[in-house]
Amino acid sequence: MTALTVEAQGLTKYFGNFKAVDNVSLEVPTGSIYGVLGPNGAGKTTSLRMTLGIIDPDAGSSRLFGGQRPQSVRHRIGYLPEERGLYPGMKAREAIAFMGALRGLDWSEGRRRAETFMTELGLERVIDEKIRKMSKGMAQMIQLIGSIVHAPDLIVLDEPFSGLDPVNQERLEMLVRRERDRGATILFSTHVMAHAERLCDRLAIIARSQRRFEGTVDEARAMLPMQVRYTPRGAPDPAVIAAMLPPGAEPRGDAWQFPIADAGVEPLLARITASGHGVAGLSIVRPGLHDAFVHIVRQVDAGFEADARVDALEEAAL
Amino acid sequence: MSPFLRTIFVIARRDFLSIVATPTFLLFLLAPLFMIGVGAIGGAGASQLADSARGAGRIVALVDTGDIEALRAADSRLRDALPRREKPVTLEIRVATPAADPLAIAREKGSDTYAVLSGPLAAPRIVEQEKGSSSGRYLALLAGEVLRDRAAGPLPPVAPRFESIANQGASIAVQQSMGFGAVFAIFLLTLLLAGQAVGMLAEEKGNKVIEILAAAVPLESVFLGKLLGLLGVAILFIAFWTAMAIGGGLVAATQIDPGAIAATGAAGKSAAALVSAPATGWPFFIGIGFAYFVMAFLLLGAVFLGVGAQAGTVREIQMLSLPITIFQVAMFSLSAAASSAPGSRLATIAQIFPFSSPLAMAARAATDGNHAIHLLALGWQAIWVALVVYLSVRLFRAGVLSGGGSWKFWRRAKVVTSAATPAGVVSSQSH
Ligand SMILES: Nc1ncnc2c1ncn2[C@@H]1O[C@H](COP(=O)(O)OP(=O)(O)OP(=O)(O)O)[C@@H](O)[C@H]1O
Ligand SMILES: [Mg+2]
Repeated sequence: MTALTVEAQGLTKYFGNFKAVDNVSLEVPTGSIYGVLGPNGAGKTTSLRMTLGIIDPDAGSSRLFGGQRPQSVRHRIGYLPEERGLYPGMKAREAIAFMGALRGLDWSEGRRRAETFMTELGLERVIDEKIRKMSKGMAQMIQLIGSIVHAPDLIVLDEPFSGLDPVNQERLEMLVRRERDRGATILFSTHVMAHAERLCDRLAIIARSQRRFEGTVDEARAMLPMQVRYTPRGAPDPAVIAAMLPPGAEPRGDAWQFPIADAGVEPLLARITASGHGVAGLSIVRPGLHDAFVHIVRQVDAGFEADARVDALEEAAL
Repeated sequence: MSPFLRTIFVIARRDFLSIVATPTFLLFLLAPLFMIGVGAIGGAGASQLADSARGAGRIVALVDTGDIEALRAADSRLRDALPRREKPVTLEIRVATPAADPLAIAREKGSDTYAVLSGPLAAPRIVEQEKGSSSGRYLALLAGEVLRDRAAGPLPPVAPRFESIANQGASIAVQQSMGFGAVFAIFLLTLLLAGQAVGMLAEEKGNKVIEILAAAVPLESVFLGKLLGLLGVAILFIAFWTAMAIGGGLVAATQIDPGAIAATGAAGKSAAALVSAPATGWPFFIGIGFAYFVMAFLLLGAVFLGVGAQAGTVREIQMLSLPITIFQVAMFSLSAAASSAPGSRLATIAQIFPFSSPLAMAARAATDGNHAIHLLALGWQAIWVALVVYLSVRLFRAGVLSGGGSWKFWRRAKVVTSAATPAGVVSSQSH
């Protein structure tokens, strides 16, 4: 059992009558990269803000680094908010040093590190440029550097990839991994499954204000059955093939497509071999995180719609 | 340095630099120059006007040749004893001729003639512009003076010995006006910048930096840091103008020859004000005045910052500037009234009420020699600064950061009552 850097229990937040976050818990193991996924408006940002103590939860609590209140360990945290913001009149180097200084880093050390980071990330041209003269993506990279310049133990990034070009996304992934290797714990939110799939050790999926899934990427993918794509040799009678394959198999051109349970793989292979229709193509793959995510979110939405229908029926019955 | 203080200084440094390192700041710094310029022009014009008006006025005495000397001597004697502003207008003495008509003289063009004396000194005829005017009485007095001198014969000259008591105790009136001066100076200086605190958080809200700040440091240090930054600007402003004033004074001192200084010293009136000191002594008075300025600035600034932080839009902030100015003027009037009535109940109220306390206590330092009371007052005011900042932060956290309606306190009450409803929804989901 590894130690937890973030222990947020039962976070709940109302905005007026609307329950934006409902009993969400986040447990982030020390030294891991943890993703928070969810559709727009699910409550990711609100959950992260409560985790960091920027807003107070209506219920639940957040403890960091083994039982400490988030407010008392600010210098060990780095945070990139969803709404990017920098003082436009500041020079990049100063802006980074300023954010470091807020977290207790020495000014001169902050300026030195700013230069190192910016050079590394291909921004050496704008080190002494004012923020207002920068493109949105450049400013975002500056802010990102500013939020990790003090070498924090916990790095929280709210949708860090949005607005970055593919090269910068790549650099950011590199940066995240390097910070993790340095010993930091990283918690980030995103809608881009590809990044989550490549980076995350564990992830949580939040939809409709509640946490709907928690586990590793593989565990998330395992929620969906594997998909088989099978193409027989020659042009056999479709009815014969359909009878051989599990129910639910659909023809797509020459190929057939169907889901299969983990235990059904070997019997299927045996049946195909025995049938003598041959194998012109066969793939058995686990669907990606993308499909797992869509699946989970659809289920939640379907549940809500069903509820709405039940409610409507009940109301009609009254 | 504690982390809390450190973060305050980080915020203050940023704010200070961002205000000072702009061309508009130069304009702000030099603004009093325009004011002095306009004041000087206006003042010169006004005094010229007054001078010319005064020069044009006169009173006329038509007397026999033998009386002229005696009349002139009496006039200069009486004039000396009168305060400068209350001296009668110039006395013109003419030799009485049968042709001279007092009425015609009174109507002569070119100057205002307030009164004309003619006829024998024992029974003069005095023609005056206004009935019962002091000019007429003065001419009658002069006539009486001349007659009395003549009747009594040459008297031995009075040899008075003047003794000044200015060093033994300052005049209460002068001290009170010093108190008022302190109130006015502090009020003017806070008026300069404290009102700007109302818009200070708008910048962070506009460019979204507020979330970085709120995540990185306690909001208290954001608020205090911003106040401190603004105070730094105000102090820079004061230091600049104090340096200018001292420099200007030194330059002026080298230009004037010692004789002139001695002459003005002998004139004595302004020297008396310099000699008399505030009850607590000059160094203490200036020091405590500065301390109270800082407190007044922090107190009012904290209120304005807190109120402004609740405002959602630039328009709301602009609308707030009127009530804010009125609030400042109200505190000034209260303290000014208190400074003119030291020891009264009003003064006590003004000294205790936290937002007028710095002003009123500065005035008290001019008239009351008690030093220790100021320590108490500074502590009391500091408590209020902390309290106001604490409350502002609470409101800000609850309202703005948590997304509640900015001014709508009743919204928060509704949240509590609504908590029951969603719970019901959740339970209905299960079946
Ligand atoms: N300040 C606020 N006032 C009122 N409602 C809010 C506020 N902030 C968020 N909400 C509501 O809370 C819900 C969750 O918002 P949140 O920003 O946490 O979503 P998110 O998962 O981060 O979405 P996105 O992916 O679009 O960033 C939304 O439905 C939103 O309408
Ligand atoms: Mg969000």
